[in-house]
Amino acid sequence: MTREEIVTQVLCFFGEEFEIENPGLDDNLREKHGFDSIDAIEMLLKIEKMLGSELSHEEKKRAMDIRTINHICDYIESLAAARAAASG
Amino acid sequence: MRGGMERRVVITACSAITPIGRSKAEILHHLVHGISGVKALREDGLLSSYIHSNVFGTVDYPIVYDFQRQHRKTMGPVAYYACQVAKEALESAGLDQEFVTSGRLGVAFGSTHGSPTVQRNIYKTFFSGSRTEFSSIGAVDYLKSMVHTTAVNITKMFGITGRVISSSTACTTSSQSIGYGYEAIKYGMQDAMICGGADEYDTTAVAVFDNLLACSTAFNDTPHLTPRPFDAKRDGLVVGEGAGAVLLEEYEFARKRGTPILAEVIGFACNNNGGDLILPNLGGITETIRIGLREAKINAEEVDFISAHATGTKMGDVIESQAIYDVYGSLPGVVGLKSYMGHSMGSCGVIETIIALYLMEEGFIAPTLNLDEIDERCAMINHVVKLRESPIRIAAIQNFAFGGVNTNLIIKKMP
Repeated sequence: MTREEIVTQVLCFFGEEFEIENPGLDDNLREKHGFDSIDAIEMLLKIEKMLGSELSHEEKKRAMDIRTINHICDYIESLAAARAAASG
Repeated sequence: MRGGMERRVVITACSAITPIGRSKAEILHHLVHGISGVKALREDGLLSSYIHSNVFGTVDYPIVYDFQRQHRKTMGPVAYYACQVAKEALESAGLDQEFVTSGRLGVAFGSTHGSPTVQRNIYKTFFSGSRTEFSSIGAVDYLKSMVHTTAVNITKMFGITGRVISSSTACTTSSQSIGYGYEAIKYGMQDAMICGGADEYDTTAVAVFDNLLACSTAFNDTPHLTPRPFDAKRDGLVVGEGAGAVLLEEYEFARKRGTPILAEVIGFACNNNGGDLILPNLGGITETIRIGLREAKINAEEVDFISAHATGTKMGDVIESQAIYDVYGSLPGVVGLKSYMGHSMGSCGVIETIIALYLMEEGFIAPTLNLDEIDERCAMINHVVKLRESPIRIAAIQNFAFGGVNTNLIIKKMP
Protein backbone atom coordinates (compact mmCIF):
# COMPACT_ATOMS: atom_id res chain seq x y z
CA MET A 1 0.00 0.00 0.00
CA THR A 2 1.25 3.48 -0.84
CA ARG A 3 0.97 6.32 1.63
CA GLU A 4 -1.75 7.82 -0.53
CA GLU A 5 -3.80 4.61 -0.46
CA ILE A 6 -3.46 4.39 3.30
CA VAL A 7 -4.61 8.00 3.75
CA THR A 8 -7.59 7.40 1.46
CA GLN A 9 -8.66 4.27 3.35
CA VAL A 10 -8.26 5.90 6.75
CA LEU A 11 -10.25 8.98 5.73
CA CYS A 12 -12.94 6.77 4.23
CA PHE A 13 -13.15 4.81 7.50
CA PHE A 14 -13.33 8.00 9.55
CA GLY A 15 -16.20 9.25 7.43
CA GLU A 16 -18.18 6.01 7.44
CA GLU A 17 -17.60 4.79 10.98
CA PHE A 18 -16.98 7.91 13.01
CA GLU A 19 -18.92 10.46 10.95
CA ILE A 20 -15.75 12.59 10.94
CA GLU A 21 -15.62 13.99 7.40
CA ASN A 22 -12.33 15.19 5.86
CA PRO A 23 -10.40 15.94 9.03
CA GLY A 24 -7.14 17.83 8.59
CA LEU A 25 -4.26 15.34 8.49
CA ASP A 26 -2.63 17.05 11.47
CA ASP A 27 -5.81 17.86 13.42
CA ASN A 28 -5.75 16.71 17.04
CA LEU A 29 -8.49 14.12 16.68
CA ARG A 30 -9.51 14.08 20.33
CA GLU A 31 -9.66 17.83 20.78
CA LYS A 32 -11.12 18.76 17.44
CA HIS A 33 -13.32 15.77 16.57
CA GLY A 34 -14.15 14.03 19.88
CA PHE A 35 -12.20 10.90 18.89
CA ASP A 36 -11.89 8.87 22.10
CA SER A 37 -10.51 5.60 23.47
CA ILE A 38 -13.54 3.65 22.25
CA ASP A 39 -12.94 4.94 18.73
CA ALA A 40 -9.25 4.06 19.01
CA ILE A 41 -10.08 0.43 19.77
CA GLU A 42 -12.51 0.32 16.83
CA MET A 43 -9.79 1.78 14.64
CA LEU A 44 -7.37 -0.97 15.65
CA LEU A 45 -9.87 -3.61 14.55
CA LYS A 46 -10.10 -1.85 11.19
CA ILE A 47 -6.32 -1.76 10.87
CA GLU A 48 -6.14 -5.50 11.57
CA LYS A 49 -8.53 -6.03 8.69
CA MET A 50 -6.53 -3.72 6.42
CA LEU A 51 -3.32 -5.59 7.18
CA GLY A 52 -4.94 -9.02 7.20
CA SER A 53 -3.19 -9.90 10.45
CA GLU A 54 -3.68 -9.50 14.17
CA LEU A 55 -1.86 -6.83 16.12
CA SER A 56 0.16 -7.87 19.14
CA HIS A 57 -0.56 -6.31 22.54
CA GLU A 58 2.67 -4.30 22.26
CA GLU A 59 1.64 -2.99 18.87
CA LYS A 60 -1.78 -2.03 20.19
CA LYS A 61 -0.28 -0.20 23.15
CA ARG A 62 1.84 1.89 20.77
CA ALA A 63 -1.38 3.12 19.14
CA MET A 64 -2.51 4.82 22.33
CA ASP A 65 -0.15 7.76 21.62
CA ILE A 66 -1.78 8.46 18.27
CA ARG A 67 -3.26 11.96 17.97
CA THR A 68 -3.66 12.72 14.25
CA ILE A 69 -4.54 11.11 10.91
CA ASN A 70 -0.88 11.40 9.92
CA HIS A 71 0.08 9.52 13.11
CA ILE A 72 -2.37 6.76 12.16
CA CYS A 73 -0.90 6.51 8.68
CA ASP A 74 2.66 6.42 10.10
CA TYR A 75 1.56 3.66 12.44
CA ILE A 76 0.00 1.59 9.66
CA GLU A 77 3.07 2.06 7.46
CA SER A 78 5.36 0.85 10.23
CA LEU A 79 3.18 -2.19 10.90
CA ALA A 80 3.05 -3.05 7.20
CA ALA A 81 6.81 -2.66 6.92
CA ALA A 82 7.40 -4.93 9.95
CA ARG A 83 5.18 -7.59 8.43
CA ALA A 84 6.86 -7.31 5.05
CA ALA A 85 10.29 -7.65 6.68
CA ALA A 86 9.14 -10.67 8.73
CA SER A 87 7.79 -12.47 5.69
CA GLY A 88 10.55 -11.45 3.33
CA MET B 1 -35.58 5.39 64.14
CA ARG B 2 -34.10 7.58 61.45
CA GLY B 3 -32.88 11.00 62.41
CA GLY B 4 -31.80 14.04 60.51
CA MET B 5 -33.09 15.80 57.49
CA GLU B 6 -36.17 14.61 55.63
CA ARG B 7 -37.10 16.71 52.61
CA ARG B 8 -40.20 16.70 50.43
CA VAL B 9 -39.82 15.28 46.91
CA VAL B 10 -41.93 16.16 43.89
CA ILE B 11 -42.30 14.96 40.30
CA THR B 12 -41.85 17.80 37.84
CA ALA B 13 -41.59 16.11 34.44
CA CYS B 14 -42.22 12.80 32.74
CA SER B 15 -42.01 11.07 29.39
CA ALA B 16 -42.92 7.60 28.15
CA ILE B 17 -42.63 5.23 25.23
CA THR B 18 -45.44 2.68 25.55
CA PRO B 19 -47.38 0.22 23.39
CA ILE B 20 -50.32 2.64 23.72
CA GLY B 21 -48.47 5.73 22.57
CA ARG B 22 -45.95 8.39 23.48
CA SER B 23 -47.81 11.53 24.47
CA LYS B 24 -50.25 12.06 27.28
CA ALA B 25 -53.02 12.64 24.71
CA GLU B 26 -52.26 9.37 22.85
CA ILE B 27 -52.07 7.33 26.03
CA LEU B 28 -55.29 8.80 27.44
CA HIS B 29 -57.01 8.21 24.09
CA HIS B 30 -56.22 4.49 24.37
CA LEU B 31 -57.39 4.39 27.98
CA VAL B 32 -60.63 6.26 27.35
CA HIS B 33 -61.55 4.22 24.28
CA GLY B 34 -60.34 0.86 25.57
CA ILE B 35 -57.74 0.38 22.82
CA SER B 36 -55.07 -2.23 23.46
CA GLY B 37 -51.41 -2.02 22.42
CA VAL B 38 -50.98 -5.80 22.42
CA LYS B 39 -50.21 -7.18 18.95
CA ALA B 40 -48.87 -10.38 17.39
CA LEU B 41 -45.32 -11.23 18.50
CA ARG B 42 -42.81 -10.02 15.90
CA GLU B 43 -40.64 -12.61 14.16
CA ASP B 44 -37.10 -12.61 15.63
CA GLY B 45 -35.46 -15.28 13.49
CA LEU B 46 -34.48 -17.24 16.60
CA LEU B 47 -37.05 -18.06 19.26
CA SER B 48 -40.42 -16.81 18.11
CA SER B 49 -41.39 -19.95 16.22
CA TYR B 50 -40.84 -22.07 19.35
CA ILE B 51 -42.82 -19.90 21.72
CA HIS B 52 -46.43 -20.82 22.49
CA SER B 53 -47.40 -17.28 23.37
CA ASN B 54 -47.70 -15.27 20.17
CA VAL B 55 -48.66 -11.90 21.65
CA PHE B 56 -46.55 -8.90 22.66
CA GLY B 57 -47.04 -5.38 24.01
CA THR B 58 -45.64 -3.71 20.94
CA VAL B 59 -44.11 -0.31 20.23
CA ASP B 60 -44.65 -0.26 16.47
CA TYR B 61 -44.64 3.45 15.67
CA PRO B 62 -41.56 5.32 14.46
CA ILE B 63 -39.50 7.24 17.00
CA VAL B 64 -37.27 9.98 15.63
CA TYR B 65 -33.94 10.11 17.43
CA ASP B 66 -31.48 12.94 16.88
CA PHE B 67 -28.59 11.67 18.97
CA GLN B 68 -25.07 12.54 17.86
CA ARG B 69 -22.69 9.76 16.93
CA GLN B 70 -20.53 10.34 20.01
CA HIS B 71 -23.58 9.27 22.04
CA ARG B 72 -25.02 6.68 19.66
CA LYS B 73 -21.82 4.66 19.60
CA THR B 74 -22.37 3.21 23.09
CA MET B 75 -26.12 2.72 22.82
CA GLY B 76 -28.08 -0.45 22.11
CA PRO B 77 -31.85 -0.32 21.50
CA VAL B 78 -32.63 -0.17 25.24
CA ALA B 79 -30.41 2.89 25.70
CA TYR B 80 -32.09 4.63 22.76
CA TYR B 81 -35.40 4.24 24.58
CA ALA B 82 -33.91 5.35 27.90
CA CYS B 83 -32.05 8.38 26.56
CA GLN B 84 -35.07 9.54 24.55
CA VAL B 85 -37.45 9.59 27.54
CA ALA B 86 -34.76 11.07 29.81
CA LYS B 87 -34.05 13.76 27.23
CA GLU B 88 -37.72 14.67 26.93
CA ALA B 89 -38.21 14.79 30.70
CA LEU B 90 -35.10 16.94 31.21
CA GLU B 91 -36.03 19.29 28.36
CA SER B 92 -39.55 19.61 29.68
CA ALA B 93 -38.25 20.46 33.15
CA GLY B 94 -35.92 23.14 31.82
CA LEU B 95 -33.13 22.61 34.36
CA ASP B 96 -30.19 24.85 33.61
CA GLN B 97 -27.02 23.19 32.36
CA GLU B 98 -24.97 24.38 35.31
CA PHE B 99 -27.21 22.42 37.67
CA VAL B 100 -27.34 19.35 35.42
CA THR B 101 -23.55 18.99 35.63
CA SER B 102 -23.20 20.18 39.24
CA GLY B 103 -23.26 16.78 40.92
CA ARG B 104 -26.60 17.56 42.59
CA LEU B 105 -28.54 15.77 39.81
CA GLY B 106 -28.28 11.98 39.75
CA VAL B 107 -29.64 9.13 37.67
CA ALA B 108 -31.63 6.10 38.82
CA PHE B 109 -32.37 4.07 35.73
CA GLY B 110 -32.39 0.40 34.84
CA SER B 111 -33.49 -2.37 32.56
CA THR B 112 -34.09 -6.08 33.03
CA HIS B 113 -30.72 -7.09 31.64
CA GLY B 114 -29.26 -4.42 29.41
CA SER B 115 -29.64 -5.00 25.71
CA PRO B 116 -30.55 -8.59 24.77
CA THR B 117 -30.24 -7.68 21.08
CA VAL B 118 -26.57 -6.78 21.49
CA GLN B 119 -25.95 -9.72 23.84
CA ARG B 120 -27.39 -12.07 21.23
CA ASN B 121 -24.86 -10.84 18.68
CA ILE B 122 -22.02 -11.33 21.16
CA TYR B 123 -23.13 -14.91 21.87
CA LYS B 124 -23.37 -15.62 18.15
CA THR B 125 -19.72 -14.59 17.86
CA PHE B 126 -18.71 -16.72 20.85
CA PHE B 127 -20.25 -19.79 19.32
CA SER B 128 -18.97 -19.13 15.80
CA GLY B 129 -15.74 -20.95 16.67
CA SER B 130 -13.77 -18.45 14.64
CA ARG B 131 -10.84 -16.57 16.15
CA THR B 132 -11.24 -13.79 13.61
CA GLU B 133 -14.89 -13.45 14.53
CA PHE B 134 -14.00 -13.50 18.22
CA SER B 135 -11.56 -10.64 17.90
CA SER B 136 -14.19 -8.66 16.03
CA ILE B 137 -16.30 -8.20 19.16
CA GLY B 138 -16.39 -4.44 19.28
CA ALA B 139 -15.14 -2.38 22.17
CA VAL B 140 -18.57 -0.88 22.46
CA ASP B 141 -20.54 -4.11 22.65
CA TYR B 142 -20.17 -4.32 26.41
CA LEU B 143 -21.12 -0.67 26.87
CA LYS B 144 -24.22 -1.22 24.76
CA SER B 145 -25.31 -4.40 26.48
CA MET B 146 -24.29 -4.10 30.14
CA VAL B 147 -26.89 -4.00 32.88
CA HIS B 148 -26.36 -0.31 33.66
CA THR B 149 -26.20 0.79 30.03
CA THR B 150 -29.37 2.91 30.31
CA ALA B 151 -28.18 4.87 33.35
CA VAL B 152 -24.68 5.66 32.14
CA ASN B 153 -25.66 6.52 28.59
CA ILE B 154 -27.99 9.09 30.17
CA THR B 155 -25.13 10.49 32.28
CA LYS B 156 -22.89 10.68 29.22
CA MET B 157 -25.47 12.37 27.01
CA PHE B 158 -26.21 15.14 29.50
CA GLY B 159 -22.92 15.38 31.41
CA ILE B 160 -24.62 14.33 34.65
CA THR B 161 -22.09 13.88 37.45
CA GLY B 162 -24.26 12.91 40.44
CA ARG B 163 -25.15 9.51 41.85
CA VAL B 164 -25.88 6.56 39.60
CA ILE B 165 -28.28 3.88 40.76
CA SER B 166 -29.03 1.15 38.27
CA SER B 167 -31.40 -1.39 39.69
CA SER B 168 -32.07 -4.46 37.62
CA THR B 169 -34.79 -6.35 39.42
CA ALA B 170 -37.01 -7.39 36.53
CA CYS B 171 -40.54 -6.09 37.08
CA THR B 172 -39.58 -3.79 39.98
CA THR B 173 -36.63 -2.21 38.16
CA SER B 174 -38.17 1.17 37.50
CA SER B 175 -40.35 1.37 40.60
CA GLN B 176 -37.10 0.88 42.53
CA SER B 177 -35.49 3.58 40.39
CA ILE B 178 -38.17 6.05 41.46
CA GLY B 179 -38.12 4.86 45.06
CA TYR B 180 -34.36 5.02 45.45
CA GLY B 181 -34.25 8.34 43.61
CA TYR B 182 -36.90 9.64 46.01
CA GLU B 183 -34.87 8.49 49.02
CA ALA B 184 -31.65 10.05 47.63
CA ILE B 185 -33.40 13.43 47.54
CA LYS B 186 -35.43 12.98 50.70
CA TYR B 187 -32.31 12.34 52.77
CA GLY B 188 -30.29 15.13 51.16
CA MET B 189 -27.78 13.27 49.00
CA GLN B 190 -29.13 14.79 45.76
CA ASP B 191 -31.42 17.70 44.85
CA ALA B 192 -32.88 16.05 41.76
CA MET B 193 -32.89 12.60 40.16
CA ILE B 194 -33.89 11.45 36.71
CA CYS B 195 -35.53 8.08 37.33
CA GLY B 196 -37.02 5.31 35.26
CA GLY B 197 -36.49 2.20 33.25
CA ALA B 198 -36.56 0.75 29.77
CA ASP B 199 -36.78 -2.60 28.06
CA GLU B 200 -36.42 -3.28 24.36
CA TYR B 201 -38.19 -5.84 22.16
CA ASP B 202 -36.89 -9.18 23.37
CA THR B 203 -38.18 -12.69 22.86
CA THR B 204 -35.90 -14.13 25.57
CA ALA B 205 -38.22 -12.80 28.27
CA VAL B 206 -41.23 -14.24 26.44
CA ALA B 207 -39.50 -17.63 26.20
CA VAL B 208 -38.67 -17.66 29.92
CA PHE B 209 -42.24 -16.93 31.01
CA ASP B 210 -43.59 -19.22 28.29
CA ASN B 211 -41.52 -22.13 29.62
CA LEU B 212 -42.85 -21.40 33.11
CA LEU B 213 -46.40 -21.63 31.69
CA ALA B 214 -46.94 -18.05 32.83
CA CYS B 215 -47.61 -16.51 29.40
CA SER B 216 -50.96 -16.01 27.75
CA THR B 217 -51.48 -18.46 24.89
CA ALA B 218 -55.25 -18.65 24.38
CA PHE B 219 -55.61 -15.33 22.58
CA ASN B 220 -52.95 -15.61 19.89
CA ASP B 221 -55.53 -14.82 17.22
CA THR B 222 -57.06 -11.94 19.19
CA PRO B 223 -54.10 -10.24 20.91
CA HIS B 224 -56.14 -7.24 22.07
CA LEU B 225 -58.16 -9.53 24.34
CA THR B 226 -55.16 -10.38 26.53
CA PRO B 227 -53.83 -9.98 29.17
CA ARG B 228 -56.98 -10.08 31.30
CA PRO B 229 -56.06 -9.07 34.86
CA PHE B 230 -58.55 -10.29 37.47
CA ASP B 231 -60.80 -11.80 34.77
CA ALA B 232 -62.05 -15.38 35.08
CA LYS B 233 -60.66 -16.21 31.62
CA ARG B 234 -57.18 -14.77 32.18
CA ASP B 235 -54.46 -17.17 31.11
CA GLY B 236 -51.19 -15.43 31.82
CA LEU B 237 -49.06 -12.41 31.22
CA VAL B 238 -48.09 -10.74 27.97
CA VAL B 239 -44.52 -9.48 27.69
CA GLY B 240 -44.04 -6.01 26.21
CA GLU B 241 -41.54 -3.24 25.63
CA GLY B 242 -41.31 0.41 26.55
CA ALA B 243 -39.63 3.09 28.61
CA GLY B 244 -40.43 5.87 31.00
CA ALA B 245 -38.68 8.63 32.89
CA VAL B 246 -39.75 10.94 35.68
CA LEU B 247 -37.77 13.85 37.05
CA LEU B 248 -37.83 14.09 40.83
CA GLU B 249 -36.82 17.31 42.56
CA GLU B 250 -36.58 18.48 46.13
CA TYR B 251 -39.76 20.46 46.75
CA GLU B 252 -38.21 23.83 47.71
CA PHE B 253 -35.79 23.62 44.80
CA ALA B 254 -38.69 23.02 42.37
CA ARG B 255 -40.84 25.71 43.99
CA LYS B 256 -38.10 28.30 43.71
CA ARG B 257 -37.62 27.40 40.05
CA GLY B 258 -41.31 28.02 39.54
CA THR B 259 -41.67 24.79 37.60
CA PRO B 260 -45.08 23.06 37.44
CA ILE B 261 -45.35 20.19 39.95
CA LEU B 262 -47.14 17.07 38.76
CA ALA B 263 -47.35 15.29 42.14
CA GLU B 264 -45.49 14.69 45.37
CA VAL B 265 -43.89 11.35 46.17
CA ILE B 266 -44.90 10.72 49.76
CA GLY B 267 -43.86 7.14 50.37
CA PHE B 268 -41.93 4.19 49.07
CA ALA B 269 -41.60 0.63 50.29
CA CYS B 270 -39.45 -2.21 49.08
CA ASN B 271 -39.11 -5.61 50.67
CA ASN B 272 -38.50 -9.23 49.78
CA ASN B 273 -40.55 -12.36 50.34
CA GLY B 274 -37.50 -14.00 51.86
CA GLY B 275 -38.00 -17.33 50.19
CA ASP B 276 -39.39 -18.55 46.88
CA LEU B 277 -38.04 -16.57 43.93
CA ILE B 278 -41.03 -17.11 41.64
CA LEU B 279 -44.28 -17.57 43.52
CA PRO B 280 -46.17 -14.47 44.70
CA ASN B 281 -46.31 -14.26 48.47
CA LEU B 282 -49.30 -12.86 50.34
CA GLY B 283 -47.35 -11.99 53.47
CA GLY B 284 -44.58 -10.21 51.58
CA ILE B 285 -46.91 -8.22 49.35
CA THR B 286 -49.22 -7.24 52.22
CA GLU B 287 -46.25 -6.05 54.23
CA THR B 288 -44.96 -3.93 51.32
CA ILE B 289 -48.32 -2.22 51.05
CA ARG B 290 -48.35 -1.57 54.80
CA ILE B 291 -44.79 -0.24 54.86
CA GLY B 292 -45.62 2.13 51.99
CA LEU B 293 -48.55 3.61 53.93
CA ARG B 294 -46.43 3.91 57.06
CA GLU B 295 -43.62 5.67 55.16
CA ALA B 296 -46.19 8.02 53.60
CA LYS B 297 -47.68 8.65 57.05
CA ILE B 298 -51.21 8.09 55.77
CA ASN B 299 -54.07 5.77 56.58
CA ALA B 300 -55.32 3.18 54.11
CA GLU B 301 -58.61 5.00 53.58
CA GLU B 302 -56.78 8.04 52.21
CA VAL B 303 -55.71 6.17 49.06
CA ASP B 304 -58.13 6.73 46.17
CA PHE B 305 -56.51 4.73 43.41
CA ILE B 306 -54.33 1.64 43.22
CA SER B 307 -52.39 0.73 40.10
CA ALA B 308 -52.09 -2.99 40.73
CA HIS B 309 -49.19 -5.03 39.40
CA ALA B 310 -51.87 -7.34 37.97
CA THR B 311 -50.03 -9.23 35.26
CA GLY B 312 -52.97 -11.51 34.46
CA THR B 313 -51.47 -14.71 35.83
CA LYS B 314 -53.71 -17.24 37.54
CA MET B 315 -52.18 -16.98 40.97
CA GLY B 316 -50.60 -13.52 41.06
CA ASP B 317 -53.86 -11.64 40.63
CA VAL B 318 -55.59 -13.62 43.39
CA ILE B 319 -52.75 -13.02 45.88
CA GLU B 320 -52.61 -9.32 45.02
CA SER B 321 -56.39 -8.95 45.40
CA GLN B 322 -56.20 -10.58 48.81
CA ALA B 323 -53.32 -8.33 49.90
CA ILE B 324 -55.16 -5.21 48.73
CA TYR B 325 -58.30 -6.34 50.55
CA ASP B 326 -56.41 -7.13 53.74
CA VAL B 327 -54.98 -3.59 53.89
CA TYR B 328 -57.52 -1.39 52.13
CA GLY B 329 -60.75 -3.36 52.20
CA SER B 330 -62.88 -2.50 49.18
CA LEU B 331 -62.44 1.28 49.22
CA PRO B 332 -59.89 2.44 46.61
CA GLY B 333 -60.48 1.92 42.90
CA VAL B 334 -58.13 -0.80 41.59
CA VAL B 335 -56.91 -1.00 37.99
CA GLY B 336 -54.52 -3.31 36.20
CA LEU B 337 -52.94 -1.04 33.57
CA LYS B 338 -51.04 -3.94 31.98
CA SER B 339 -54.38 -4.92 30.45
CA TYR B 340 -53.74 -2.17 27.86
CA MET B 341 -50.11 -2.83 26.98
CA GLY B 342 -48.85 -6.05 28.45
CA HIS B 343 -45.96 -6.22 30.86
CA SER B 344 -43.15 -3.94 29.77
CA MET B 345 -40.85 -5.56 32.33
CA GLY B 346 -38.23 -3.14 33.68
CA SER B 347 -40.25 -0.13 32.57
CA CYS B 348 -43.68 -1.12 33.91
CA GLY B 349 -43.37 0.68 37.26
CA VAL B 350 -42.46 4.04 35.78
CA ILE B 351 -44.99 3.79 32.95
CA GLU B 352 -47.74 2.95 35.44
CA THR B 353 -46.62 5.86 37.63
CA ILE B 354 -46.78 8.23 34.65
CA ILE B 355 -50.27 7.00 33.76
CA ALA B 356 -51.31 7.49 37.40
CA LEU B 357 -50.04 11.10 37.10
CA TYR B 358 -52.15 11.59 33.97
CA LEU B 359 -55.27 10.16 35.62
CA MET B 360 -54.62 12.27 38.71
CA GLU B 361 -54.35 15.37 36.57
CA GLU B 362 -57.49 14.59 34.56
CA GLY B 363 -59.64 13.37 37.47
CA PHE B 364 -60.82 10.03 36.17
CA ILE B 365 -59.93 6.38 36.58
CA ALA B 366 -59.64 4.22 33.46
CA PRO B 367 -61.05 0.71 33.80
CA THR B 368 -59.09 -2.52 33.65
CA LEU B 369 -59.35 -3.65 30.03
CA ASN B 370 -60.71 -7.12 29.24
CA LEU B 371 -62.21 -7.45 32.70
CA ASP B 372 -65.50 -8.95 31.53
CA GLU B 373 -66.13 -11.45 34.30
CA ILE B 374 -64.34 -10.84 37.58
CA ASP B 375 -62.79 -13.99 39.04
CA GLU B 376 -64.68 -14.58 42.27
CA ARG B 377 -61.37 -15.01 44.10
CA CYS B 378 -60.46 -11.46 43.10
CA ALA B 379 -63.92 -9.96 43.56
CA MET B 380 -63.61 -8.59 47.10
CA ILE B 381 -61.83 -5.38 46.01
CA ASN B 382 -63.16 -2.32 44.20
CA HIS B 383 -62.40 -3.08 40.54
CA VAL B 384 -62.90 -0.25 38.11
CA VAL B 385 -64.71 -1.82 35.16
CA LYS B 386 -66.06 1.34 33.52
CA LEU B 387 -64.45 4.72 33.15
CA ARG B 388 -65.08 6.48 36.42
CA GLU B 389 -65.03 10.26 36.92
CA SER B 390 -63.19 10.45 40.20
CA PRO B 391 -60.69 12.86 41.66
CA ILE B 392 -57.50 11.09 42.72
CA ARG B 393 -55.74 12.70 45.65
CA ILE B 394 -53.45 9.83 46.56
CA ALA B 395 -52.40 6.92 44.32
CA ALA B 396 -50.42 3.78 45.09
CA ILE B 397 -48.40 2.00 42.39
CA GLN B 398 -47.66 -1.63 43.23
CA ASN B 399 -45.08 -3.81 41.51
CA PHE B 400 -43.75 -7.28 42.26
CA ALA B 401 -40.84 -9.09 40.64
CA PHE B 402 -39.24 -12.46 40.14
CA GLY B 403 -36.81 -12.85 42.99
CA GLY B 404 -39.52 -12.01 45.52
CA VAL B 405 -38.99 -8.24 45.31
CA ASN B 406 -42.03 -6.07 46.07
CA THR B 407 -42.46 -2.30 45.84
CA ASN B 408 -45.16 0.18 46.72
CA LEU B 409 -44.83 3.79 45.60
CA ILE B 410 -47.27 6.39 46.88
CA ILE B 411 -47.86 9.73 45.16
CA LYS B 412 -50.08 12.64 46.12
CA LYS B 413 -51.67 15.38 44.03
CA MET B 414 -50.39 18.82 44.92
CA PRO B 415 -53.07 21.18 46.21
